[in-house]
Amino acid sequence: MESNKKYWKGLEELHKEPAFVENSKNEFAEPLPLEEVLNEAGLSTVAPRRDFLKALGFGLGAVTLAACQSSPVQTSIPYLVKPEEVVPGIPNYYTSTYNGHGVLVKTREGRPIKIEGNPNCIISQGRVDAQTQASVLDLYDVSRLHDPVLNGQKASWQAVDQFVKSALSNAQAGGKNIRIVAKTINSPSTKAVIADFTAKFPNTKLVQVDPVSYTGIIQANQNSFGKAALPHYRFDLADVIVSFGADFLGTWISPVEFTRQYVSNRSWDALKTKKMSRHIQFESGMTLTGTNADARIAIKPSEEGIALLNLYTALGGAVSGGKTLANNAKADKAIMLAARELAAAKGRALVVSGSNDVSVQILVNSINSLLGSYGTTIDLDNASYQYAGNDAEFVELINEMKRGMVDAVFFINSNPAYDFVNPKEFTDALAKVKLRVSFADRKNETAAHCNVIAPANHYLEAWGDSNPLEGYYTLVQPTINPVYNTRTIEEGFLIWSDNAVKDYYQYVRNNWEKTVLAQTGKDWKGLLQTGSVSTGAKSGGAYAFNRELGSVAQTIVNKSNALAKGGDNVVELSLYQSVALRDGHNANNPWLQELPDPVSKVTWDNFVAINPIHAEKLGIVEFDLVTLKKGNLSITLPVLYQPGQAMGTVSVALGYGRTAAGKAGNEVGQNAYPFIDFVNGTFQGVAAVTLEKAGGARELAQTQTHHSFEGRNVVRETTLKDYLKDHYAGSGKKADHKKYDLWYDHENPGHNWVMAIDLNACTGCGACVVACNAENNIPVVGRDEVRRRREMHWIRIDRYYTFNEDGKTVTEEREIDDLKNMENVSVVHQPMLCQHCEHAPCETVCPVLATVHSTEGLNHMAYNRCVGTRYCANNCPYKVRRFNWFNYWNDSRFDNYMNNEFTQLVLNPDVTTRFRGVMEKCSMCIQRIQSGKLQAKLERRPVRDGEIQTACQQTCPGNAIIFGDVNDPKSAVAKALLSERTYYVLEEIGTQPGIGYQVKVRNTEAATAEA
Amino acid sequence: MRNISLFFRSVVKSLTLLFFLAITANSVSAQSAAEGVTLFKQKCTACHALNAKVVGPALKGVTDRRSEEWLIKWIRNSQAMIASGDPEAVKIFNEYKPAVMTPFPELTEENVKSILAYIKEGDKPAPAAPGDVAAQGAGASSNGISDFALWGLVAVIVIAFLIIVVLNRVVKTLERMMLKKQGVLVEEVELVEKDRLAGLKKLAKNKKFIFFVIILVVIFMSTASWMGMWNTGVHTGYQPVQPIKFSHQLHAGINKIDCQYCHTGAYKSKNASIPSLNVCMNCHNYVTAAEKNGGQLSPEIAKIYRALDYNPDTKQYGNNQKPIEWVRIHNLPDFAYFNHSQHVNVAGVKCQKCHGPIQTMEEVYQASPLTMKWCINCHKETEVNHKGNAYYNKLIAAHDQLKKGEKVTPAVLGGLECGKCHY
Repeated sequence: MESNKKYWKGLEELHKEPAFVENSKNEFAEPLPLEEVLNEAGLSTVAPRRDFLKALGFGLGAVTLAACQSSPVQTSIPYLVKPEEVVPGIPNYYTSTYNGHGVLVKTREGRPIKIEGNPNCIISQGRVDAQTQASVLDLYDVSRLHDPVLNGQKASWQAVDQFVKSALSNAQAGGKNIRIVAKTINSPSTKAVIADFTAKFPNTKLVQVDPVSYTGIIQANQNSFGKAALPHYRFDLADVIVSFGADFLGTWISPVEFTRQYVSNRSWDALKTKKMSRHIQFESGMTLTGTNADARIAIKPSEEGIALLNLYTALGGAVSGGKTLANNAKADKAIMLAARELAAAKGRALVVSGSNDVSVQILVNSINSLLGSYGTTIDLDNASYQYAGNDAEFVELINEMKRGMVDAVFFINSNPAYDFVNPKEFTDALAKVKLRVSFADRKNETAAHCNVIAPANHYLEAWGDSNPLEGYYTLVQPTINPVYNTRTIEEGFLIWSDNAVKDYYQYVRNNWEKTVLAQTGKDWKGLLQTGSVSTGAKSGGAYAFNRELGSVAQTIVNKSNALAKGGDNVVELSLYQSVALRDGHNANNPWLQELPDPVSKVTWDNFVAINPIHAEKLGIVEFDLVTLKKGNLSITLPVLYQPGQAMGTVSVALGYGRTAAGKAGNEVGQNAYPFIDFVNGTFQGVAAVTLEKAGGARELAQTQTHHSFEGRNVVRETTLKDYLKDHYAGSGKKADHKKYDLWYDHENPGHNWVMAIDLNACTGCGACVVACNAENNIPVVGRDEVRRRREMHWIRIDRYYTFNEDGKTVTEEREIDDLKNMENVSVVHQPMLCQHCEHAPCETVCPVLATVHSTEGLNHMAYNRCVGTRYCANNCPYKVRRFNWFNYWNDSRFDNYMNNEFTQLVLNPDVTTRFRGVMEKCSMCIQRIQSGKLQAKLERRPVRDGEIQTACQQTCPGNAIIFGDVNDPKSAVAKALLSERTYYVLEEIGTQPGIGYQVKVRNTEAATAEA
Repeated sequence: MRNISLFFRSVVKSLTLLFFLAITANSVSAQSAAEGVTLFKQKCTACHALNAKVVGPALKGVTDRRSEEWLIKWIRNSQAMIASGDPEAVKIFNEYKPAVMTPFPELTEENVKSILAYIKEGDKPAPAAPGDVAAQGAGASSNGISDFALWGLVAVIVIAFLIIVVLNRVVKTLERMMLKKQGVLVEEVELVEKDRLAGLKKLAKNKKFIFFVIILVVIFMSTASWMGMWNTGVHTGYQPVQPIKFSHQLHAGINKIDCQYCHTGAYKSKNASIPSLNVCMNCHNYVTAAEKNGGQLSPEIAKIYRALDYNPDTKQYGNNQKPIEWVRIHNLPDFAYFNHSQHVNVAGVKCQKCHGPIQTMEEVYQASPLTMKWCINCHKETEVNHKGNAYYNKLIAAHDQLKKGEKVTPAVLGGLECGKCHY
């Protein structure tokens, strides 16, 4: 039965639409213009033969002439005085911190070229997400300001300092307010600088505001326990996780850390001990977390609060306001079952909600309190400082500005002109402030309204620090001199407040030596090497929660009623962050723009996600442009059919629609921030909107169905129940059949490099894709080319949907048309990259032997040998080969990072940039293999297991990828491949792939599976 | 012809060098002052000069200032003298702090005496560097064999042509004689003898001849273009003019400075790397070659000073620095990965194996063709240097099992696979 379960990548495949079937047979996405050539100019011209000969003759002559030029003279310029630590050709690694995550920055000849996780970091433990991987490209961003700007003109720092100082003293003299608006600051040194500044200008106040706010949780904790902070969630200690719209694997608070915690209970090691956590997700749009859940129940935003009330009641809490959900009996049933499971796992249970409503979060607190989560799965004593924004304070600031009480305002990493609910209101208020200073590194939406832009250094150019968790401090260390005439933000404040220490490096160092280093007895040099210091976690105490929930319940019910008011074409809108762009501050990063969204596989756009059945009812076809309206607000976006989307709801991603982000990020998608509501003191990303057809359509650049497996069974899945009964469940190993081979076996006497990928550990986040981009110099091709199926990513995450209707899997045999709705789908993510087959179909068809097998089990690709017949891509059953349709590094039509003298500096010098007409594909990071082997040879020792890591493996937050030498029986990969769950994709066709996948196991107990 | 001249040149060069080496060896053993020169250059010039204060004092007249006994003691272990409280030693120590003189316990009394003899005598005019003999011009070549084959082929063809012509003539004569005997063609023969051009005309009508000529031309042209194409982009002998007339012959050949003293990366990195100028300055802040330039700083060393904006008086680098733009000689294409440390450190390949007799090059030229064929040939022939390298243990064991007895070359261990160099 299981093998017949139907998986599909997109609806067109599911419904076998004629166009899709036709296309999947074609080699080219678009028909070749053969007909045109034959019908028009081709056959009817008078003397095509002569013209042909002329062209041939001219071409031959021209090529000969062109070839006559002598080889260009190349110069070699050594250092004048070589820095001692630099050896040309050998990378240096420096510790630093991005967004609270400890990182190692790889530099070559003084240029940062790659970011890797710092294994010492307690948050990331050496793993980083797509944003961190991509952040190195921002350093070379040509849209950055080259100089400070004063009143719209390029200015010197002295002029800026003079201007700001006099404006500040005027403000001080006039008794007016000075305000610093910042995205959450968790840097102890920055806070100290601001404190020093405040001492000098006592009217100063720091207002922290985050585009995507967590004020709801912070204030709920203040309300419930008197601690205004985000708790430190421990998904690794939770056996039952119930999430209400919190995308904790994708975007919520600290996804890298949560992914590691979550996966640790579900992958290799956990399954060895026959245990697996259980995860139930209630949400409206399909999030990354929802795709990974064991059971996912679609609910509307308006039902979320009610569902939580019901859950509280079911757990034995006393609250009024709970009611059965109209039209969602399934969710009702699921709540009851979830309550039963949660109650059974008291002390090992965790309930989270993505809502930013204080009332909802108070309710969640009381549920967790009932479940005994405080002190176990929720750690309030070691709080997280990753977000500390206060929405109401910012709204209050705007009122102050309107009233003319503010004379100076500074923006640190904050861009309210783009991400505030009402940008017009904000910019009007801002105009009344005399001194407006932005520290943006580019002239962004807010900076355009400021009279001073003091461009800040990129984090790779600056000193700094961070305190993301209680008792955990990390250091930001520069790895390159400022590329442009920019300055650290804090240095500005030090100068303007006439601080005794004007050098921020000295300031940071003094601050550390006074506080953390003195406390822990560590020294500065040691700190530079390890990158972080942990002063030790406090032991978490249990928190009792005892509060009458009457008013809370009332607020929740009122809000729900307001959302669900109904009406013609009224739908519930839920705003979310896309996993790639998050809040949109790094929208100008082409690596992130081209990273396919993990769920929709859309690149370079945001869209209105809608359930296909719902769209059908509204008469909307996919890619139709629709307008969402709320009051005076409206945005027009294309529609995307999203299976799993709750009926009657739509989802739109934030972070798009930037107007002043730079070349890559401008005018991509539409800005959905204005749809955020300011209710009860917090910004909330849900709204009731009307949806109308706008006429016209815009095809989205999806990578989803580009590579068809022709309905072959490539993902294998089982349930925990079956797995415990039979460890081979789902792996297809039981069917023992005789194998025949057309080819001789390859001998791999030395090394045999292989990989093991655990489908249970892969959440589909896409960090590997960006890591691979950075490591292997993969070009960005842009929206149009992606639409033509020409994306170049060497590794992709395939996302397969499958139905889960009424607890029974839907197979091909059973009709799918009578399914009531498309809400109940489950998803499997599968990283797909070159399988380095032992009997590779690509190798046998290459006419020039450009792709051949090595004695180390790898499938080599010699670019300089390839003539571009593309036979190999055609013959590859895994569809992992990519063709260079253009010279992406030297073609004026592709204004990408490889094509710019400056941004080129990010390229990895150990990997060739590929020429037009050449095929490329995953090399298993052969440059790393070779350098790892060389290091072993230089040290006269065998290669150690784990010392060579591929870029994708190194960054994977879920540790889903293990790479190594299978000839070494003690290696991690050899052990992993021995697992009963191992299967090889399309092993039945005899390609003998080098990558073994581990069957996905879902903890779908029969009871809840029926829900 | 160029190749022949080059070959001749290199022969002459090596002979001259051998000659000079022999002469120097003989004369040095003869006199102690001459031994002193060598020792002085080896041991002392890092910190001392005869006429100028460098790191340590100028040494001219030191034999008059101090007793020989004192000097021997001082040179062999100055620290001990300072520690023992010798007043003169302490005075010098205080004057030149923080620099301390390296002890030279390996120098015998005789050695020190010969150094002192040299210092007393001072510099005699330096013998002309052997390198000066070598003419300037293009570099040597290693593709002589293919050129030789080309010319050989031409010679064979010419000889064949001559033989055919002669044979043709013989056949003609025999035919004519036969006909004459039969009495058929007497007048014609006379005609031919009268009109010389007619012979050529007839030759032009001779189909065999025309065919032969065409074949010849085709063979010649295709051979030439075949050779030409194989050598396209091969720059053996490439010897560009460098911004500084740096002589490897002087530094590596005569002064025997280890290659890796300057090319520090060769042992640990993929790039051997051209030394940064501060490496040059390790020696050239006192080695000024003034003795060869009439007491003036050598104009070539002056270029280093200019690039670094170096002030010899204050011994400081200035701010107006300009890097030296060397012309790159050994250019591998970007898609070919080459790592020096793999070859120099792991395999123990000598620099000269690829770079030619670099220690004899006044100006560096590309000695090897740097073609893929050349790489592969070496990978097929050279034995892997696996002794004492634990990395290879498993590979060698596996190899022994599969192909015992066969020579272990990089090719056998997969060194010819595309992905080992192209990625």
